[in-house]
Amino acid sequence: MATLLLELGAAFAAIALAGSLARALGQSVIPFYILAGLVVNPFVLGTLGLPAIEDREVITVLAELGIVFLLFFLGLEFSFEQLLASGDRMTRVGLLDIVVNFPVGVGLGLALGWTPIEAVVLGGIVYISSSAVITKSLIDLGWIANAESEPVLGTLVFEDLAIAVYLALLAALLGGTADLGAALVDVAVVAGFFLALVLAVAVGGGWFERMLAIRSNELFVLRAVALAVLIAGAALAIGASEAVAAFFVGMGFSSTDHVHRLETLLVPLRDVFAAVFFFWIGLRTDPRLVVGVAVPLALAVVLTAPAKFVSGYYGGRLYDLDDRRSVRVACSLVTRGEFSLIIAALAATQGTGPVLTETVPAFAVGYVLVMSVLGTTLMDSAGTVERLLEPVLPG
Amino acid sequence: MTVYETDLPGVGKKFEVELDGERRLVVVIHNTGRREVFVRPEPDADAEKLFDLSDRLARQVGTILEGAYFQPIRTDSIETVLSDDALIEWVNVGPESPFVGGTLAETRLREEIGVSVVAIQRGEETITNPGPDTEIGTDDTLVVLGSRDACRRLHDLAAGDRTLDDDPDDPDAT
Repeated sequence: MATLLLELGAAFAAIALAGSLARALGQSVIPFYILAGLVVNPFVLGTLGLPAIEDREVITVLAELGIVFLLFFLGLEFSFEQLLASGDRMTRVGLLDIVVNFPVGVGLGLALGWTPIEAVVLGGIVYISSSAVITKSLIDLGWIANAESEPVLGTLVFEDLAIAVYLALLAALLGGTADLGAALVDVAVVAGFFLALVLAVAVGGGWFERMLAIRSNELFVLRAVALAVLIAGAALAIGASEAVAAFFVGMGFSSTDHVHRLETLLVPLRDVFAAVFFFWIGLRTDPRLVVGVAVPLALAVVLTAPAKFVSGYYGGRLYDLDDRRSVRVACSLVTRGEFSLIIAALAATQGTGPVLTETVPAFAVGYVLVMSVLGTTLMDSAGTVERLLEPVLPG
Repeated sequence: MTVYETDLPGVGKKFEVELDGERRLVVVIHNTGRREVFVRPEPDADAEKLFDLSDRLARQVGTILEGAYFQPIRTDSIETVLSDDALIEWVNVGPESPFVGGTLAETRLREEIGVSVVAIQRGEETITNPGPDTEIGTDDTLVVLGSRDACRRLHDLAAGDRTLDDDPDDPDAT
């Protein structure tokens, strides 16, 4: 295509179009953003002889910003006080969720003959539900005002914390080199970086507070973005996870008085860049590769959808909900989305070998497409699901 | 009356208010400022959505529910809004009010509360541009100009629900 700007414009047009289509069909936008990227990429439009949008560095950078902002907001929403206050039940429902769903993915990976690290990547991808899609559906369906929203949101909060730890560990594992000494140095550098960041967040509350104490909206946004992107970039430069770094920066701001202002002013930025991230995932995916992983994909859907359903159902029971509401919890948690793709992106960029660089990304795209549509549909028809399952439900 | 408060991580907060017997009013306040209001007809039922308000509209409706828009003596002319946060209000001075018997200068309304008294209505008579030595009596109606908050504080003072020494930010003071 003629100029980069034109190409970028075409990309945004495709994203906007996909978003409108999703809205018209009453589906979540994430799978449609991915599909938009998939359709206009060189493997599809390109092979038809039409002008395709290339996976250029500029789109990659915008997608990286999408990851940074997604995790920044996760950190911003997160507070240890809240986790502690919600106490036992949230921990129990979160543990139930991880104990049931994570091993299913790891087991499937091992059964497919993958190495332990590759299996752990698969475990993460199938474990983590989509906070973005599920929360939005809860609001759209009006369930947010009902008791079922509590175990669902509780599980999501637990998962969000788990995924921050998981990404940090995975980045360290994937970065491991053959030379043990060099690997140890790498791990030490990364560990030191995160330790410094955690300390900064723990003791630097006042500093974060003053940093954003400025009247001008323009400077406020610039300072927040500068800090988040700078620290995420520094993390990536030394081989640590930029996502986890952004999560900590968000956490640093979470205890200040600026949370509300950050949300108001930065949500549009997050939405734009996150949309580019999903589009970029589609853009770099060769649909033939997705077809190539059809067998593991089908196995994963058949195994992990029911596993999530079962853990979700008993999660609802842990909150003393009746059958109807527990089934709703079960239906809600089936959706997978942004975090599965972030894990796959990490595996693709830092991992070695064809499984991590080709199979896993293609698998993640197919998996998220299926699970997000399946999850949203299940939520919409939770009443029917409950009637169908009535004879087998224990309660 | 019991109000149940629940955190909705990533969304905001949920408040449930017990109404008569079985019913509960459910208010979801989103972090974005949007308010969703539901009613749950019975404990096990799904909440039915009543309406959706923006942050700004919710505050306005809240003031109406709170009673701050309603003037017991002048129901026909409640208030005159001059701008977003400035209004002219009619405030009735109750017998318990600390103002009774003092002059306008002694009440220090302009300094302490931030309102200017532009007129005083006493029975059929209206004193326009009252001077600092004008005395205030029971059942006088002060016509004041000030911010919404200042007018609200003045209401409490004039009704005798609060003394001048009370901390205006302390909600327990009323």
